[in-house]
Amino acid sequence: MKIELENLTKRILGTGNFISVDRNKCNRCGRCLIICIMNLWRKKDDTIYIVDDYQSKCLECASCYQVCEAGAINFQYPVGGTGVVYEKG
Amino acid sequence: MNTYDIIIVGAGPGGSIAAKNAAEMGLKTVFFERGRKPGEKNSSGCGLGPRMWKDFEIMKELTPEKCPSMRAGAASRNYFVNKEDIVAGYIMARPTESVSYEPAKSWITMNVYRSEFDPWLAEFATDAGAELKTSTLIVDLIKENGKVCGVIDEKGEKYEASIVIGADGVISTVAMKSGLRTKWAQNQVTLVPQYDFQAPPEKIDDIMGDEALGVWWGATFPASYQVFFRDGFHQGLGNWMSWWDKNPLFYLNKVVNLKYYQRLLKILEAKPRELQAHLLPWLDYPYNTYTDGVILIGDAGGFPCPLEAEGIYPAMITGKISAQIAAEAIASGDVSKAVLHKFDEEWQKTSIGEEFEAGYELWNIWKALPFSPKETMSWFVPMIMEVLGGIFDWSQPHALRIRQIASHVKSYMPKATPFIMKYVIPLVAKTFEDDLDKLMDPKKIMTILPKLLELLPQKKRKRGGKEK
Ligand SMILES: Cc1cc2nc3c(=O)[nH]c(=O)nc-3n(C[C@H](O)[C@H](O)[C@H](O)COP(=O)(O)OP(=O)(O)OC[C@H]3O[C@@H](n4cnc5c(N)ncnc54)[C@H](O)[C@@H]3O)c2cc1C
Ligand code: SF4
Ligand code: SF4
Repeated sequence: MKIELENLTKRILGTGNFISVDRNKCNRCGRCLIICIMNLWRKKDDTIYIVDDYQSKCLECASCYQVCEAGAINFQYPVGGTGVVYEKG
Repeated sequence: MNTYDIIIVGAGPGGSIAAKNAAEMGLKTVFFERGRKPGEKNSSGCGLGPRMWKDFEIMKELTPEKCPSMRAGAASRNYFVNKEDIVAGYIMARPTESVSYEPAKSWITMNVYRSEFDPWLAEFATDAGAELKTSTLIVDLIKENGKVCGVIDEKGEKYEASIVIGADGVISTVAMKSGLRTKWAQNQVTLVPQYDFQAPPEKIDDIMGDEALGVWWGATFPASYQVFFRDGFHQGLGNWMSWWDKNPLFYLNKVVNLKYYQRLLKILEAKPRELQAHLLPWLDYPYNTYTDGVILIGDAGGFPCPLEAEGIYPAMITGKISAQIAAEAIASGDVSKAVLHKFDEEWQKTSIGEEFEAGYELWNIWKALPFSPKETMSWFVPMIMEVLGGIFDWSQPHALRIRQIASHVKSYMPKATPFIMKYVIPLVAKTFEDDLDKLMDPKKIMTILPKLLELLPQKKRKRGGKEK
């Protein structure tokens, strides 16, 4: 059984940017690539980045931020009243 | 400037109980929630234990009208899944004879969706006079002479108070901005993804009866819980941050794709309804829970139970205590760290404090057993199934089977003995406050154990056909 993840979580638009990477701090350990349930992290030419449309897919779990020991990931919850809505949490 | 006596950041169970108690003591109270309403951000299992009804009068007012997802049950089912991803057996368990709290004899958990429970709880606080500000993200603290005296929201609005309670969960802005903590260590916090499945209530009742909870103990995935609500259920699993070697959903999907599980989904007519992921602090002991003008409660303070990470009850207990300590401090005009130290003294006296007394041992055994599928569960599952299920075989004489089972169980001893010595005995010793050294003496154990095993008879005397 393959569970389709698209549309399985409701979101309210208008989050603004709430995750960013500091390239100078990143040591390319790859932990963020593994931990993100939604697979929103990429590595290209030795650069780690988060996909452009992450705001419409992110679960706001903060795992990427928590797992990054280099402190390269900046995370702040989205604007109040926007982002993920768990109706059956 | 908005001025209050006490500010609480977060309207989860901890924040709402703190706000309710603070308001009831006459403090001018405000609490903030980044969601449009409480309970839409903080996904959870979510089972509530009987002790919540014991310690919080308001729980008796929780009814299906207020909380339609409510479902209680007396039974839990433990599935043992082996290396081949086959359900090798299961145990259905009901409250046992030693359970002493009367209501807990008829139900073990009340399951509710947080989207219903958290707003219900917050209403007690607003009814008591606390002000709730939703859709408001707190981003910073106001400090004077290095001491916290208020908060700032994302729009730059400032709120002042003598005390700020950090009830803002696992990624706590209050903890970080007050300098109490930077980030959790990787082995202090778990990531817990979970699916919510929808299923017709009558199917759940017909098939699950009064089973309210399932635990899938796996040899290839960390233990996965299943919590039944009125019209659906959660399936989730977690582990410490450092454990994951693949996308965590890989492991959760392993559970969902078990043949047995697929069959269960089919007969329950269950369909995936929501995907959630949340971090959950899981510590052997809470630390740095207060400083000048600040107290951290619930997840923000690292209070989930060290064994199973039940976190709602500890959040509510610490919420209640924090309000009490804050009120006393405000009345005395001294909200310094030295005074707020009483917060630690008070929670340590409660059942939470008692739980954390054996915190390290409980935390350690959970880490080493259900959360170490490859290292431990891979032999633990066949060993336990050998004992439970080995006798159900009639291909050979039963006495011979018993000897085969005994010798097979014995073959697990090289793995089981060190495990028992490292994890089980320290826990037993801690719980009974026995002399650890006496029990832990490896020489003693190594001399006793083989002797015990040797007592198992190698041969048997013939009974029938003897001459008279
Ligand atoms: C998947 C999962 C399953 C669980 N299962 C169970 C279970 O079965 N039983 C149980 O007892 N416990 C369970 N827990 C633990 C339990 O959910 C938590 O321990 C509990 O929710 C902690 O309560 P809290 O009030 O401290 O924090 P939270 O419930 O996390 O509440 C914090 C609130 O603060 C808000 N907030 C955060 N930051 C800000 C900010 N900067 N500004 C404004 N608002 C903010 C959040 O939106 C949230 O509403 C589970 C946890 C997880 C993740
Ligand atoms: S976890 Fe941090 S340091 Fe490691 S690759 Fe990701 S951003 Fe870079
Ligand atoms: S917050 Fe969670 S879902 Fe969002 S990018 Fe980070 S790890 Fe992925």
